[in-house]
Amino acid sequence: MSYLAKTIGELIRRLRMLFRRRQLDQDLEEEMRLHLEFRRQQQIESGLSPLAAGQAAHRRFGNVARLKEKSIMTWGWEGLESFLHDAAYGARALLRSPALTLVALLSLALGIGANTAIFSLLDAVMLRSLPVEDPAQLVLLGKGDTSGITDDFARTDLYSYPFYRQMQQKNQVFSDTAAIFSITSGGHGFVEGRTESETMNVQLVSGTYFQTLGVSALIGRTLNEADDDSEGDHPVAIISYGWWKRSLAEDPNVLDRKLKLGSTIYNIVGVAPAEFFGTKVGEAPDMWIPLSMSKQVPPNYGGYKDNFSESLLIIGRLKPGVSVGHATSNVDLLFHQILLGFPDAKLSQENLQKLRKTQVALHPMATGVSELRHKFSKPLQILMAVVALVLLIACANIANLLLARSTVRARELAVRQALGARRARLVRQLLTESLILALSGGALGVAFASIADRVLLHLLSGGPETIPLDISIDLRMLAFTFAVTVLTAILFGIIPAIRATNLGLTDALKDGRSPQAAGTRNPLARALVVSQVALSLVLMVGAGLFLRSLVNLSEIDTGFNKENVLRLEIDSSSAGYTPGEPREVALDQQIEERVSALPNVKAASFSAFTFHEGSWNSPVLVPGVNLGQDINVKHNVIGNGYFATMQIPLLAGRNFSPSDTRASQHVAIISEHMAKIIFPLGNPIGRRYGLEDEAPENQVTVIGIAKDVKFGYLTEEPVNVDYIPYTQHPWGFGDFEVRYTGSFAPMATAVQHAIRSIDPGLPISGVTTLDEQVARSLTNQRLVAQLCTFFGLLAVLLSSIGIYGLMSYVVSRRTNEIGIRMALGAARASVRWLVMRELLSLVAIGVGIGIPAALAGDRLIASMLFGVKSTDPSSLLTAVALLLLVAVFAGYVPARRASRVDPMEALRCE
Amino acid sequence: MLRDEIPPGTLYLLILKTLSVRGKLHGYEIAESIERHTEEILQVEEGSLYPALQRMLIKGWVTAEWGVTAGNRRARYYTLTAEGKKQLHIEVSQFERVMGAITRVIRTA
Repeated sequence: MSYLAKTIGELIRRLRMLFRRRQLDQDLEEEMRLHLEFRRQQQIESGLSPLAAGQAAHRRFGNVARLKEKSIMTWGWEGLESFLHDAAYGARALLRSPALTLVALLSLALGIGANTAIFSLLDAVMLRSLPVEDPAQLVLLGKGDTSGITDDFARTDLYSYPFYRQMQQKNQVFSDTAAIFSITSGGHGFVEGRTESETMNVQLVSGTYFQTLGVSALIGRTLNEADDDSEGDHPVAIISYGWWKRSLAEDPNVLDRKLKLGSTIYNIVGVAPAEFFGTKVGEAPDMWIPLSMSKQVPPNYGGYKDNFSESLLIIGRLKPGVSVGHATSNVDLLFHQILLGFPDAKLSQENLQKLRKTQVALHPMATGVSELRHKFSKPLQILMAVVALVLLIACANIANLLLARSTVRARELAVRQALGARRARLVRQLLTESLILALSGGALGVAFASIADRVLLHLLSGGPETIPLDISIDLRMLAFTFAVTVLTAILFGIIPAIRATNLGLTDALKDGRSPQAAGTRNPLARALVVSQVALSLVLMVGAGLFLRSLVNLSEIDTGFNKENVLRLEIDSSSAGYTPGEPREVALDQQIEERVSALPNVKAASFSAFTFHEGSWNSPVLVPGVNLGQDINVKHNVIGNGYFATMQIPLLAGRNFSPSDTRASQHVAIISEHMAKIIFPLGNPIGRRYGLEDEAPENQVTVIGIAKDVKFGYLTEEPVNVDYIPYTQHPWGFGDFEVRYTGSFAPMATAVQHAIRSIDPGLPISGVTTLDEQVARSLTNQRLVAQLCTFFGLLAVLLSSIGIYGLMSYVVSRRTNEIGIRMALGAARASVRWLVMRELLSLVAIGVGIGIPAALAGDRLIASMLFGVKSTDPSSLLTAVALLLLVAVFAGYVPARRASRVDPMEALRCE
Repeated sequence: MLRDEIPPGTLYLLILKTLSVRGKLHGYEIAESIERHTEEILQVEEGSLYPALQRMLIKGWVTAEWGVTAGNRRARYYTLTAEGKKQLHIEVSQFERVMGAITRVIRTA
């Protein structure tokens, strides 16, 4: 028989024995008895008396019980058996003190659950690999943290389609290369046969996308090179599993269905697997369409043949055996070659120098790209630290509880030791009890975490649409939880276990209580409570700082009036309007007019952007003036009513008017800051400058100066912004804002009704207020502030439980002393003060340790604070005051109990 | 009547051989058989017999079943399995090999 077969057979036999344990015991017992009997018989035959024979037989046999145990031990299950035995024993012991167990379980559940929830978030955003084949071999050119379209020379993060093609053909280090459009267009389209438009988030990708990632279709096929080889005539789409489920109800004939996006009809040729969501963490496109269709898909970005329309991320799969260093040098070389080789490259002195200094860096793509990651990486790490501290506090509580219990069990443990149990064995048993407690707490914690995860995702999304992030509890999470649980059990179990078994046996047996406990338990318990107070202080100070930061941020003047403004998006390009066409402009104007005429509407306007929505930037040039360096300006294409709607004051000049049409002189209004930068001397009104270059068709005349506004972030420095009327510059997919009085809901309905009355086929989405838009830009800070406050308060709660527990114990120990004092005439108040004094000294020490710890820790978060120093004294004082209050409250009840002690009872209880 | 201890590692060999010769035996009979056969030079300690039997059960070299003795008492009888027979061969050849080597050393004058 092979070795493997033998081992398996053995294992099966061993396992079977587990179930017949008791039977084996009896069998052996009987067998040995018989053997003894035979031996005795033999001794009698050799001449001994029956009594002597019996003794001789026993002597030869040895210790029967021991022998039986030894025989059973050969089956190898001793470890497991003793563990199970300990576990059952521990469970019974825990059930005997239900209040203590409940408190411990809750503390554990909250601590472990919080850790699991935050970790699952951290994992999903930062650590998890893409659900593709061998993600470790994927690399990205550049960092992947930009999205948009640009024509800057020598950019290493975004590339043009022709560049991608050349890189694909010429490189020697990638087995596959793919390009991904960096913006996921949130457009609308029609499923063939339906009259209502639906949201369709489209991801434009190269034909090699799925092949590079190693993803095969669930149904049908994925995109291939043939879909991407010529512009405009490959109307195919791969849909996501989620969209197939949501929108097509998992129609099995999905490959016969068609979609209409813009004015093109697309065939659905495949469905992606369920776990595939693309390559951007936090986004889940509904469909993937080849880049050859980029001009057809609204908002019709185009750029298929444009050497310098740089909007793509490029990823590659390393050939086996190729190192990243080797790939980097090959890619970098090609980067320079390809750019220099483009016939329309602007090879100015400046650009050449820029190119010389630029190097392409390859970044690992195993975890995908993510804007979420950049936004939340630091906050998540901070939160992870916070929940770890909360867990430590919970552990301290449980350790204290276990210490208290162990003094009560001193007699039991003493008896067992006197009977010969090794100390290590008892410690093992106590640890097993801790493990049972921790595992139950952990299981509860997992349940808690799955609820908390939903809340967390909602907080993270910071708006009505939930981010498509999969943070459900999976195997990795469970493994993490299990590890944390075991660690926790050891942490809070080991010291009480060692203390409990360190007994002077005679004393313990006599007394039923360990007299050492009075001496040894108190310093340890005190130390635990002190550390709880210190940690809680650290957390509360941190929470206070974040809260104040958040408040400061929300009070920043945005430059516009964010109250009472309704904002929504109209996707006219999906409804067949081409941006810039007279028909589209007329539509916009009609909508503005009709909505402005509604009751309670003060003003209404279209615009490309409102706040925190990205930007369209380009450098500007003043003809004849050397500005010294690249002046980058953010452009906003707006309607005439924009300034009135947003209540941005015009500091000079005039607003756009109906006289500014397509045919008339091209005009622009510039922001204060921009005016100072490009026209530092004299009056900017009437001066001209060029958008992007000196070509006459890109020149505009300044007709007004607007007050500075915040454009992207509340914390940004003043930016250069200029405004252009939409009659003079095409813009398809933008915002529509309405300033109103009264309440939001009826206004929202009225506005949408008005829009639909003009063209019922216009898809409207993202209906919200400007206020909410601004608030959304603070999601990061709000998340941290809210969660830190929650955990800070939780920590304080746990600490107060710990204080209560300790004080109760102290009082019970000193009952005797208190009785004597009261018998000798001490007032109740002075007894209360006795207890409180003890408590206050503990809290004082805790605070004393906590303050420097808080100051040190806060230095780490200083970069995340706004408008408040990390050493802010008022936050410190508030936290200290709160802790003192809570501590006093927690200690008051035991103190009162102490003062209520009946002196006669106390004296009797010796 | 000197009693030598059973050389380590040979207990299995002795039990296996005894069972292969005598067929079905219970614990006491096995011990007794070895004693008699070696004319009481080797004595099986109960302390080592039973653990050894358990191990042999685990390894699948023997099987045990309850039966009745001559004196109408319940006893557990052990029999050799096919695997056990193979093991016996292995142990015997190993023993002979080792003994042969030792003998050669001793015999060199």
